[in-house]
Parts: sequence; C-alpha cells; structure tokens
Amino acid sequence: MSNLIAARVQMGNSLAFHIIFVVLAMGMPLMLCIAEGLALWRKDPVWMLLARRWSKAVALIFIIGAVSGTVISFELGLLWPTYINYTGAIVGPLFAIEGIFFFVEAIFVGIYLYGWDRLSPRVHWICSFPIWISGIFAALIIVTVNSWMNTPAGFEVQNGKLTGINSFQAIFNAAQPYEVVHMILASFVGIGFGVATVYAIAILRGKRDEYHRKAMLLGLTLGLVSIPLQMIAGDAIARSLETQQPVKLASMEAVYNTSKDVPLHLMGIPNVPQQSWYTNGLVIPDGLSLLVGFSPNTTVEGLNAVPANDRPSDPLIVIIHIAFDLMVLFGTFMMLVAFVFWILFFVRRGKIPEYGWLLWGIILCGPMAFIAVECGWVVTEEGRQPWVIYNFLRTSDAVTTAPYLNFTFGVFTITYILMSIILIVLLLRLARQPLPKMEWATVTAVNPAEPSTV
Amino acid sequence: MTIADVLLSILWLALIIYTVTGGADFGGGMLELFAFGESGPRQSALIDESIDPVWESNHVWLIFLLVVFFTAFPPAFAAINVVLFIPLMLAVIGIVLRGSAFAFKLHGIIRRSQNVRILSRIFSVASAMTPFFLALAAASIASGHVQIQNTSQIVTNIGSDWFTPFTVTIGAMALTLCVTIAAIYMTVEATAKGDTELVEAFRRRGLIAVALTAALGLLGLILAPSEAAFLWNGLLDKAIPVVIVTMLVGVAAAAALWFRRYRWARVLIVAEAAFLLLSWGVSQYPYIIPPDVTAVNASSPQETQVFLLVGIIIALIIVVPSLWFLFYVFKLKKVTDVGAGAVKNPAE
Repeated sequence: MSNLIAARVQMGNSLAFHIIFVVLAMGMPLMLCIAEGLALWRKDPVWMLLARRWSKAVALIFIIGAVSGTVISFELGLLWPTYINYTGAIVGPLFAIEGIFFFVEAIFVGIYLYGWDRLSPRVHWICSFPIWISGIFAALIIVTVNSWMNTPAGFEVQNGKLTGINSFQAIFNAAQPYEVVHMILASFVGIGFGVATVYAIAILRGKRDEYHRKAMLLGLTLGLVSIPLQMIAGDAIARSLETQQPVKLASMEAVYNTSKDVPLHLMGIPNVPQQSWYTNGLVIPDGLSLLVGFSPNTTVEGLNAVPANDRPSDPLIVIIHIAFDLMVLFGTFMMLVAFVFWILFFVRRGKIPEYGWLLWGIILCGPMAFIAVECGWVVTEEGRQPWVIYNFLRTSDAVTTAPYLNFTFGVFTITYILMSIILIVLLLRLARQPLPKMEWATVTAVNPAEPSTV
Repeated sequence: MTIADVLLSILWLALIIYTVTGGADFGGGMLELFAFGESGPRQSALIDESIDPVWESNHVWLIFLLVVFFTAFPPAFAAINVVLFIPLMLAVIGIVLRGSAFAFKLHGIIRRSQNVRILSRIFSVASAMTPFFLALAAASIASGHVQIQNTSQIVTNIGSDWFTPFTVTIGAMALTLCVTIAAIYMTVEATAKGDTELVEAFRRRGLIAVALTAALGLLGLILAPSEAAFLWNGLLDKAIPVVIVTMLVGVAAAAALWFRRYRWARVLIVAEAAFLLLSWGVSQYPYIIPPDVTAVNASSPQETQVFLLVGIIIALIIVVPSLWFLFYVFKLKKVTDVGAGAVKNPAE
C-alpha cells in the first residue's frame, strides 16, 4: 500500500469512528439535561432513572469519544504534516478555541457524572447545560475548519509565503453556515432516532411500561423536530455547491458534461469511465437542474469542466453518488416514519401507537440516521478529492514521508475494531440491567459513578 | 518580548501543568502495577477513584499543547511530526489503550475478575507508554538530533535520531517522575481517607521513585555532554541557577515525604516538575528545534498568533474557574469533609 492510501484509510477510519461519538456526545447530554429537568420539575422517578442510567452510558461514550478525538488531533500532524503546516498557520486558532469548549465539556462531564451525591439536585442539573452547549460549539468550530478546507478563504500566498491572513474571512467562509447547521442537526437526528430505536426494540419485546415509552417519546420528539429542518438544510447545502464546489456537486450526481436539463438518478450506478450509467435507477427528468436553480434551464457544471486529475477518481465518484443517494433516502424515510408516528399519536389523542410495523420503522431509523451521518461525511470529504484544501493543497502533497504507515494503519484498525466490540458489549450490558422500583428514594440511590449499583 | 515568546512561554506553562496533572494520572496507572501486598486492592481502588473524575480534563492540556504548538509554530510542528513519527505514534497508541482500558474497567460491567485484571494491566502498561515516548521525543529534540535544513525534505530513520542512551534515560526519568508525583498525591488522598496503611504504602513507593528519578537525572547529566551537547552547553551558559534550584527542590520534596509532611511534599513535587521543565526551556531558548529552528523563524503569520493569544486569554477566563470548581467538588471538598469529621451528603 502506498503511503497516501495507508494514511487516507487510517485517517478515514479514525474519523468514521470518531464522528459516531461526536453525535452521541453532542446529543446525549442534551437528552440528560431534558430528562433530569423533567424529573426535578415533576418529581418523576421514571425520568430520574432515565437520566441516571443514561449518564452511566455517557461516561463510557464520552471517554471513548475523547480518546478517539485525541488520536485525530495527533494524526492531523503525524499523517499530514504539510496540511497542518498551512491549516495551523491560517485557521489554527480555531482548533485552540475548540480546545476551550472541549475543556469546558470535559470539566462539566466530570462534575456531572461524579457529582450526583456531592451537589444539590438543582446545581447538578445546571451543570448539565455547559456540557451540551460547549459540545455544540466545539462541533461548530471543527466543522468550520472542515468548511474552510472546502471553500478556503482569508489568506494569500506570495513567493511561497502565507500573507494577508484574515481570520474572519477564513472562519466565515462560503460553506461555513451550511455545513455547521447540517452537522448539528445531523447530531440531533442521530441521537433522537438512536434513542428511539433502543427503546422501540424493548417495547417490541413486550416491555410496554412507562420507562420505555417515555424514553422513546423523548427520542422521537427530538427526531421529529430535527428531521424536517435537516431536510431543508440538506437542500440548501446541495444548492450552495453549484457555485461553491461545482466538482463535488457533479460527482454526487455523476454529471459528466456541463448542460441544462440535468436529471437526477436516484439509486442509479454510474459507469464513470464510459461516461454513462450501469443502471439508471429512478430517473427524475431535469431533477438536478430544478434542485439547483428551480428551473429546467439551469446549467449544471459537469465533471469534464476540470482536468481529470483535478476531480475525484472514477471509482470515488461511484462511492460519492451512492453515499449521497443513501443519505437522502434515509433522511426521507426517517421523516416519513416521524410524521406517521405523530399523526397517529394525535389521532389517538396522546396514546402512543405501538403497532409492530410502526415500531419496526422506528427501529430502522436509528441505524439509518448514523449511516446517513457517515454518508454525508463521505460525500463532503471524497467529493473534495484530490484536494485536501480545495484548489490549494493536494492530499498527495500533504501526506507524511515517514515510514511504516502500513504498520500503524494495521495497529489502529485492529484497536478500533476491538474497542468497538467491547464498547457495544458493555453498553448492551448496561441496558440489560434490571430496573429498580420506580420510587423517588430508590431511584435517586442509583449512583452512576459506581458501576456495581443496580 | 515578542508574541512568539509569549506563546512559547504559554506552551511551557501548559507542559508543566500537563506534567503535574496528566503526568500524575499516568503515574497512578503505573503505581497500580506495584499495588501488591495486603493493601494492594485498596491501593488500586483509591488510585482509580482519584483519577476518575479529573483525568479527562487533565488530558485536555495535551490537546491544548498540540493545537497551540501547531498554530503558533506550524513548520516546527510539521518537522517534528515527520522525524519523530514512530515515538509519537507509540505515545498515541498508549493514549488510546490507557483511556479505553480505564473506561471499560471502571464503567463497564465486567463479570470475570480475570478480564478486570487484563484491563488493569493494559491500563498500567499503556500509562507507561505515553509519558515514556513523549519524553523520549522531547529529549531527542533537546539533544539536537532532529536536523532540519529544508522542511520540504525532512526524512526520518528507524532510530538513530531518537533512540539513543540519552533519550531512553530521559524517557525512563519521565516514568519515575510521574510515579513520584502520583505517589505523593496519593499519600494526601489516603491521609484524607484516614487509611494509615495506604499512606505508608504510597510513601514507600514515592521514596523509591524519587530516588530513581534523582539517579536517572544524574545519568542524564553525565550523558548530556557527549549525547546532547546542545542542551548541555545551554545548561552551562544560561540555566545553572535553575538547575541548582531544581536539585534543591527535589531534595526538599524527598525530605518532606520522608518526614511525612505530605501536603508540603505535594507542593514541592509540583515545583520540582516546574523547575525541571523550566531548566530545559531556559537551556534551549530561543530554539524550538535546536540547532535549526527558532521561535521566530518558525512563527506563523502575526495575525494568526495575535488571534491565538486572544483566544487563549478568553479560554483561561472561562476554563480556570471551571477547573477550580471541578477540583473543589472532588478534591478540596472531600478533604475538608473528612476533616470536619463527617462526609456530608449535600443532596439531602
């Protein structure tokens, strides 16, 4: 394996792994905050138990998230020294600011998880706010760095030296607002449906009690609020690509030649070398032109507008197209399930619909939400290739010259696989713990800092 | 004093803080390897309990170091990452294994005691890997082995740049220093618990570790003239007073531990780590990578450095009170509770 491939796969693995924990670590503290707030407000032992048991899972998730994030911050330099040389000089302070938010997050996670018996209930609840607020800001800033890689701004190069650094231009680059909103909503969609899935499985298995129903309802509420917003945000981001990153848009729909009346091929498989399609999938005539410019006459720039070595390689285009279609498909499915659920919920006057088919639909939504996050990330990263900083630095020029990348790639892959397996096993064990009596005193005796209780 | 100097000082300060916080957590992990005897399980339990709420925020200092470094001095950072690729990767693997093994051991439901033991061992060994390789990397930078003429053509090799008797000695010294710091902190924690047997166990381990640290420090000084000439000349030229203070503070810390003045020992060992790192910093200033790269010629554009500095100041305004609250809740409060004779539950 060449250094470039090994480094890309190792970085890709690390990011694919970490992004799951980003979604969890951003969303779960919000769920904790809501559940504990409801518990204190209503003196409701069910909500209290949910908050306490979720906080045990968060302890595990947060540590693995922090560890995998550390790996990435090292890999930025270790695998891509030339990349960090430019990125550090131009948008490096953003990483430092992200560090602040991560710091606050880590501090308050410590206080929250281990402070159940050391703080008054109200102070403890208040300590949950800095966690999810700084989590959102941290994600916002990292996505800002990513958006800068897609639409770099705020610097000039003269005689090989960086000059004219304008941090505000760099931060508020063209892609920034779109990407930030899309990622934060993705996290809420993911956590909402993820939680709903876990408790829908339990309900389908006959655990039709208040504990599981409340948990599912909270997840679905977050999912329902976020998913329509997410579809709107996704639509906006796709449209923004036409002007900001035309090659990415052309890759997503395998548009070969610049033209009007460009169709959409839903789930079609492009044959890039032949500049045609293996299977057309569901063709929507003028679909992409309409999507981008609200008119069939809208011109969409094709892949051939740039030289072959300035656009993603042929096999990558197939991956990008499929990832994009999957993301859209899953998003649409989740929206459908959420709407059906809530229509039934209101028709039945606040009674939770527990039909098997509907629960199955909900169960599918959780994994779909996470796969959609991965797909979206594949689209934005692979769609930018062969550039790591768009039209400025090639990925192949950014990679390290250090040896043994094959070896470290192997070690990290094995470690991540093992870590995932152990984590899933341990989370399942936590979920299978028998429930205590739903009384305020019993429930508040559950101390999440101690693994042995309950 | 330029902005680059200010940022360099901030980096050094962060390194010192990371050593006395994160370093102590690594030391705690290593101490668990030596948690034998009748009180062994209690030693491990108290170490875990002390590390658990704070280690993640302590760990953030490393991230802070990393991002401030690559933002303030990007070419130096890039060069170090190429030449010291192997030791730094090994340090990262240590971070992954340490963190995940600790999380699984403490927060997972592990049924078989055999599996708990395996996780404990991984935790301990990984706790040694990270400080060893980080210190080894630092020592090879300090000894002037990272030669950079042109950043686009830096190459590395399997070891002669970084795997030398001097770097290994400094790596080992980092381990014993971390263990010393951890053992001294634990004597205070165990005193607060009122467990004299544990206090004595940690005191003995601390005394052994501090003696080893002194021996390895001396060995480092003996090796330095031939192995790390650049560092040695810097020491002689500029850092003699700091080196002497470092030695005196070290002796004082050992004495405080010997005479069972644990709170004094805690203050002194923090000072010891600070002076040790300061003597390194003073010796090689203004170089980041001697003999080629200085703080000035590796600086990122001025605009970036100013922005970074403003960011750091805002950060400290937010982070310091939060950190104080964390330590207040888990360290200070616990000790005072016991001092008052009863562990109160404020939730009631």
